[in-house]
Amino acid sequence: MKTLKSLVIIAGATLAFLFSCSSSTTVGAVRPVKDRKPAPDFTLKDASGANVRLSDYRGKVVLLNFWATWCGPCKMEIPWFIEFQQQFKDQGFTVLGVAMDDEGWEAVKPYVTERKVNYRVLLGDDAVSTRYGGVDSLPTTFVIDQQGRIASAHVGLIGKNEYLGEIQTLLGIKQNVSARLVPGAVDVYAASANQ
Amino acid sequence: MFRLALCLALSMSTLPAQINKPVNITPPEPLVAKAGATVDQTLNLSVREGFHVNSDKPKDEYIIPIKLTWTGGPLETRQVTYPKAEEIKVGDQQLTVFSGSFLIKTQFHVADGAPKGTVTVNGKLRYQACNSEMCLRPITVDIPLTVTIE
Repeated sequence: MKTLKSLVIIAGATLAFLFSCSSSTTVGAVRPVKDRKPAPDFTLKDASGANVRLSDYRGKVVLLNFWATWCGPCKMEIPWFIEFQQQFKDQGFTVLGVAMDDEGWEAVKPYVTERKVNYRVLLGDDAVSTRYGGVDSLPTTFVIDQQGRIASAHVGLIGKNEYLGEIQTLLGIKQNVSARLVPGAVDVYAASANQ
Repeated sequence: MFRLALCLALSMSTLPAQINKPVNITPPEPLVAKAGATVDQTLNLSVREGFHVNSDKPKDEYIIPIKLTWTGGPLETRQVTYPKAEEIKVGDQQLTVFSGSFLIKTQFHVADGAPKGTVTVNGKLRYQACNSEMCLRPITVDIPLTVTIE
């Protein structure tokens, strides 16, 4: 009886912890250098058919974003990434989009053209997804440092300013205080979804 | 700090198992029908709280609709009827979705000369689910339906 009571208490405590965690998962902000693991390398094709290797971007900060055209939260982030690409492309930064659409370029190309995406978009596959832990949920985004190590990982929609802060930290740019005062878009998104 | 670490450890290990099956499908009851008859089948579905699946008629061309199809056996699918979708606004996107518990009804026609006996009709349900922060990759679930022709 005592054992059963203990089990119930432990189960209750575990559930309480789980429900106190957000459903989106953010693994750290920018991890300390000693805790960063190498980003698994891959080669994927871009819209022109050219092979693109992640390790070719060594020396740059890379925002690696797994997304799909059918994913609403992903579409919220894309305008931010376009803005980051424009703002930081000359400072050693790039965005790489990995589209996980089963329909391939037939679905992805029109969307990328329509939205005037200014960064490289690659077509993902299961092998790359597996290397990055399965990527069952989208968006999933990794911010990779200049040495090719994963500095942060985010599953689900987070705020624009969180990405901005991480990029600026890795680029060694002093953070813009006024930019950080803008409300997180994730709150706007969650509120509208609950309407 | 400890709480954050524990949250991360727990969420990384349990989240996939929790959310990868956001829709619970009750296995359908076996059908009994006569040759030449029309029979109805109802599929019971339940979407995990906080999640929604796209309706059968999404407004955006990029959205993946829910779709139930049946193949095999001497049954012809006459009509698949989905419930009335609810409209929600997510970001700047207007979506038509199903959430909570809902039913999908199928009307079958048994072929006139269908031989007596028991057959299995293969159902496939394709859907794509999201919550307010993330979307899961589209999934196709097999739904075997036992049909006895009398």
